[in-house]
Amino acid sequence: MKHRKSSLTYIILIAIVFVAISVVFDTFPRSRMSQLEKRELATFPSFSWESLADGSFTSKVSSWFSDSEPFRDELMTLSMQVKHLIGIAPTEDNIKFHAPEPEKQASRPKRKGKNPIYENADDHSETDENTLEENAKIANAGIMVVGKDKNVRALMAFGGSATGCTDYADVANYYKATFPDVNVYCMVIPTAIAYYCPEKVKRYTNPQLPTIRNVFAHLNPGVKPVNIYFILKKHKDEDIFLRTDHHWTPLGGFYAAQTFAKVARVPFRDLKSYEQHVVHRYVGSMYGYSKDIALKNAPEDFVYYVPTDVEYTTTYIDYTLNENYRIVSESRPQEGPFFYKYKDGNGGAYCTMMGSDQRLTVVRTSTKNHRRLIILKDSFGNMLPGYLFYSFEEIHVIDNRYFTHDIVQYVREHHITDILFANNIFSAYLKSTCNKYRRFIKEQPDSIAPEAKSNVPEEITEVKPDSISL
Amino acid sequence: MVFSDLFFLFVFIPAFILCYILGGIIDRTLLNKDVRRTHQARNMSLVIFSLIFYAWGEPVYVFLMLCCVLANYIIGLLIDRQERHRKAALVVGLIINIGILGVFKYANFFAETLQLTGLNISSPNIALPIGISFYTFQSISYLIDVYRKESPVQHRFIDLLLYISMFPQLIAGPIVRYGTIADNIHRRRASASDIAYGIQRFLVGLGKKVILANQLSELSDLFLKNNLDSLSVAGSWMGIIAFTLQIYFDFSGYSDMAIGMGRCLGFKFNENFNHPYCCNSITDFWRRWHISLGSFFRDYLYIPLGGNRHHQALNILIVWFLTGMWHGASWNFIIWGLYFGIIVMVEKYTLLKIQKYIPSIFLHLYSMLLVIVGWGIFYFDDFSSMLTFFNALVGNTKELTDLLAETTLFDHFWLWIAAIILCLPVFNGLSWLLRKCVPNTSLRTGIATTVQVVFSIAVLVLSTALLVGATNNAFIYTRF
Repeated sequence: MKHRKSSLTYIILIAIVFVAISVVFDTFPRSRMSQLEKRELATFPSFSWESLADGSFTSKVSSWFSDSEPFRDELMTLSMQVKHLIGIAPTEDNIKFHAPEPEKQASRPKRKGKNPIYENADDHSETDENTLEENAKIANAGIMVVGKDKNVRALMAFGGSATGCTDYADVANYYKATFPDVNVYCMVIPTAIAYYCPEKVKRYTNPQLPTIRNVFAHLNPGVKPVNIYFILKKHKDEDIFLRTDHHWTPLGGFYAAQTFAKVARVPFRDLKSYEQHVVHRYVGSMYGYSKDIALKNAPEDFVYYVPTDVEYTTTYIDYTLNENYRIVSESRPQEGPFFYKYKDGNGGAYCTMMGSDQRLTVVRTSTKNHRRLIILKDSFGNMLPGYLFYSFEEIHVIDNRYFTHDIVQYVREHHITDILFANNIFSAYLKSTCNKYRRFIKEQPDSIAPEAKSNVPEEITEVKPDSISL
Repeated sequence: MVFSDLFFLFVFIPAFILCYILGGIIDRTLLNKDVRRTHQARNMSLVIFSLIFYAWGEPVYVFLMLCCVLANYIIGLLIDRQERHRKAALVVGLIINIGILGVFKYANFFAETLQLTGLNISSPNIALPIGISFYTFQSISYLIDVYRKESPVQHRFIDLLLYISMFPQLIAGPIVRYGTIADNIHRRRASASDIAYGIQRFLVGLGKKVILANQLSELSDLFLKNNLDSLSVAGSWMGIIAFTLQIYFDFSGYSDMAIGMGRCLGFKFNENFNHPYCCNSITDFWRRWHISLGSFFRDYLYIPLGGNRHHQALNILIVWFLTGMWHGASWNFIIWGLYFGIIVMVEKYTLLKIQKYIPSIFLHLYSMLLVIVGWGIFYFDDFSSMLTFFNALVGNTKELTDLLAETTLFDHFWLWIAAIILCLPVFNGLSWLLRKCVPNTSLRTGIATTVQVVFSIAVLVLSTALLVGATNNAFIYTRF
């Protein structure tokens, strides 16, 4: 710019924008929580001379500053919008693939049967737990975003093999051997990609039915399989899986609960006995994980069903976690609602049932048939108990990550008659999930960390792991 | 601290501008006539902020840099103040600078190499200070220029510290020769047009880094960082092409930001890049890529060794061996340097003699192919991964393509296009087009200013949005 006037004009205009951004970033209240990523943002680091000397203090200050700007989610949405615009859709399928971040990546999607990682994963007897953990993370082999406009759907590629997941069967067998007088059921919950994967990219994800069949083939005769694959397939044109979240919908849970009730030979009511509620404009976890604005632009309804003519009380024991997600305290039993009401647009609506995974839930119903059920579950299992109030007089919901009691004693004290394993196929494939269930029997698994027990308030914190909660 | 960090952009820069302006006011109002024009207060604020800038990332090694500057200050005076032992003083200075580089950058590498020969030597595990390759080379340039009497000795320690530690070019160049800015330390002026140019250049660099290089780095990492065993042929090519574009926008973006900031302060740094991917030979590529390093080796090593006159082949190999080694303490960098050294030598006796008879498209494709292969050597510092990668690159892998490669192309289609186009001299082309289409000067100036304002604001806002939550923005060349 050779002309003084145009140079001054340029300098003044850029300076105005620069000063405006600086004032906003340096003086406005900082963001503390990201609704977009569903996590707490970085806080200003505590100072020490040691941290200053090793550079960690200044590094954390920079991280804090970049993580907690005012209007953070709005700026991040803008950046996602731009990233969306740099792509084109060469075909009608409009398939986008979001590979896992390299440092978190365990495996990339491959043609089935050709990846040695998958083949090794089958041989549980010759590999240690860490290796198996890595192998099982084939689960998160990337996210595919398919479809256009309001029909866009995020799918997590599955990498499990047809001969894998046998440990899940083994642990169900182990429970049956431990509780011979209790009915033990084994349910493997398929995920959306089993039903909605476009034909042209099917070679990049493995089918789930062979894995599910393999689990059932390894069950001892005393354990009852609950095969929900086909009923979900039958209803796949209904909204049985969320498009913007990695979970299924309450309707998908309804069909699964119906199948379970048949196997368990307990009464079951159809949807006429329920009142429908809707959380509009729901955008789930896959938006944050894939950072694909197409998902945000295609919100969906989160529809759930509340039983109308049954009485029930819900009691919770809440767990408090430390920064390493270890349980540091638990509350006394306290009553609360089973169904939590979320406002339209709230991204946490999947927690409508029971509010959180970090709690032990006991529902006591007016149904009197001496059937008392434990559901051993991950977050997918949260969709089941709401449809079983007509079927059992007590339902105990235990998350595999949060349980501090001795389950042998627990079963005895509460006169449990039925135990249902209800985990999604990704979680069921994990050796660590199965080992957690095993440790429920052998010892108190996640015993309370003694040093922290007395200092932590008895309330639920909003700490959430920075990974897809399965 | 790095330039592409929100803390730098919106805390460090505003604080620096305020202090620098205050320094200017002090220079004009409080200091006496003799020193008022020498920018003492301004220079002091620049030095203080440069030390804060460096200490932000290297709180301990900032003292190493201060010691290095002190040593060069003393040796510079020794070279200048007497004739008898000036060569010995220069040699001592070179030994100190190269020694510091050897200890802090190459000690681990030497130990590991000796371990391979069977010697029982433990690795010293010395962390690499950021920017050490740049500030030691600038120190060497200062001593040699003073020795050759091409530049005056610096009598004030604070001013030599300013030259070496100046934050715009401290940690990733360009390698600014002392002679280039010696006069500007005390006598400089930034006109409105300098400041406007500097801001624009800084924002172009910011955009190159944040909008292009950071996105391209995600693509290259997807293919090249993990799971090389399952890399497809298409994936290997996309990964290394993404890295080829990334490293150009990353490094030239840094140079643009450094040159822009320097211009705003009244310093005129030399250009470090000249559209290197428009080259028509590898010899031409190295005239366009990292020009400050190439000219440093040419003037301070190649020519003193004898240049074209004596042992030219040996001189070329020495220069390229050291060029490779300068980039990192790892064998792949040395191989990378020698790879180009051999090509340059072969070209000298073959291609350059017949170049005018070959269509430029073929020359360009030939050059880019060799450059891309070179970046393959550069990227992998372990030979096992490098071998796996090159096997995939030449088709010796299980799969021709995979989902990642298929979707990455289309999901980032406009990024690829923009990156390739912006490797070309498009700004010169647009400027030419404007001159042709709009003959009226005042109208042309108005259009140009409007376009520049809109472009600059868009880059600033978009870069800010893309930097939100980003914690890993380090420039590739800061690790050298």
